[in-house]
Amino acid sequence: MSAEESLTLDKRLAVVSFTKDAEPFILVDTDKCNQCESKPCLYICPAEVYTWKEKLNYNTEGCMETGACLIVCQKLGAGAISWKYPSGGKGVTFRLG
Amino acid sequence: MSLEGFEVAVVGAGPAGSAAALTLAREGVQVLLVERGTFPGSKNVFGGRIYSYALKNLLGDTWKDAPIERFVRKEGVTFMTLDKSLSVEFESKDPEGSFTAKRAKFDKWLAEQAEKAGASLITESRVDDLIIDRGRVRGIVAGQDRIPTDAVIACDGTTTGLARRAGLTSILEPNQISMGTKDVVELPSDKIEERLGLDPGEGAAHVFIGACSEGLRGGGFLYTNQDSLAVGMVVGGDDVSSHKTQSYTFMDKLRQHPKLQRLIKGGKTVEYDAHMIPEAGPKMLSRPYTDGMVVAGDAAGHLLNNGYTFRGVDMAIQAGVAAGQTILEARKKKDYSANSLKAFEKKLHEDPALKDMYTFHHVPAYLRNRRLYTIYPELVCSAAEAVYRVDGTGKKKISKELRLQAKGRVSLFTLIRDLIGGARTF
Repeated sequence: MSAEESLTLDKRLAVVSFTKDAEPFILVDTDKCNQCESKPCLYICPAEVYTWKEKLNYNTEGCMETGACLIVCQKLGAGAISWKYPSGGKGVTFRLG
Repeated sequence: MSLEGFEVAVVGAGPAGSAAALTLAREGVQVLLVERGTFPGSKNVFGGRIYSYALKNLLGDTWKDAPIERFVRKEGVTFMTLDKSLSVEFESKDPEGSFTAKRAKFDKWLAEQAEKAGASLITESRVDDLIIDRGRVRGIVAGQDRIPTDAVIACDGTTTGLARRAGLTSILEPNQISMGTKDVVELPSDKIEERLGLDPGEGAAHVFIGACSEGLRGGGFLYTNQDSLAVGMVVGGDDVSSHKTQSYTFMDKLRQHPKLQRLIKGGKTVEYDAHMIPEAGPKMLSRPYTDGMVVAGDAAGHLLNNGYTFRGVDMAIQAGVAAGQTILEARKKKDYSANSLKAFEKKLHEDPALKDMYTFHHVPAYLRNRRLYTIYPELVCSAAEAVYRVDGTGKKKISKELRLQAKGRVSLFTLIRDLIGGARTF
């Protein structure tokens, strides 16, 4: 891939190493999201874990574990997200961070 | 490994945790260093630079064994519009003052130094809770394991779960965090040196302010590793949320600028990283200690962004050492109460490096001024263009040109107020 092209998020996430956690570490009470006007999780998350298609969808597989979604959801959103780190040894591994 | 008989548990093997564990282990304390990643550094992301002094303080002459990418010889700042830029560059005589690094290597190495001193490291272990007995922290809970200790040092990063559990803070505010994203762009080392005007092995650090953040609180950065460029953006958590723009898209704004295009041309993006940065400073906790526990590093806001230097790892190391020393003194007195551990706060204030956090405590408020990211970068770029352009239509003196450029953008009163505010803040 050439650096001059605009990189898509998918291309970016493809070069990050993840180990799937069988245990769910993010849980969203998505009913609350229907009432949420600001939906800040959609914008703060650097990995598009949260997307909106008629309702809130979330996929923790690309989660980079910043924890920012919890903050914006509690303070600007509907308080729907419960969040913890993935189990030990699971989740993202940064090799060049 | 048996998880019994440890006097102190240090949670998080980042720079603060490893420095704290090392400080304790050197004095013969039985210390357990707990890391949730597969190895120390595997969950950690930063811009790219470490100030050397903290490592020298901690390790003496052996600090140079650290996995250093390049010593930073050139510092630069660029003010940019979409197609214009004005850069200022400083070349240091003392290039050993700071160096670029990769956290997966650096943090791993620092944790190894703690292990060599006698600390026990366990990885792949998430600390889920504290053991709290009658208001006093008495150990940690990691999965099925309850690990009782005399004291805990929480270095668990920005999300600061243990400090919250101990009631030292609630959830941070969106304006107290920033989102950092970065691409690591692989390039041959001679290309890096050629493009940035460096001698072999020398490095550069560069900051970008203006169009790349689309007017939001934030900016871009570039650091040179040996064979790659770390290129990224930091944007305010509140701004990103209200602007309804995805946090990672700002990196493309930066990368598409002609100046960056020339630097990264032909490079290959080999990793994408992200990290939440606490921006409130030590104020993010009501206090960094409680009965049986002290908190250090990002978890306690021990870092400093004063707009032109970005310091995390050096401050984390200094704070980790101070935390370790605090526990050593408490151990001597056999008193781990909050009253005994409040000596930590005094150490933080008296530490010659850490006191910068308190000196620059008005900076976060000043940096919320949107004009810094919109009007001023445009102003300096337009003024530079007017100064340097010769098209035969007649030239004005620089002072007149500056006044003309400012007109309609910002009032003289506001400009002067911002300048005075800046002079007082920095």
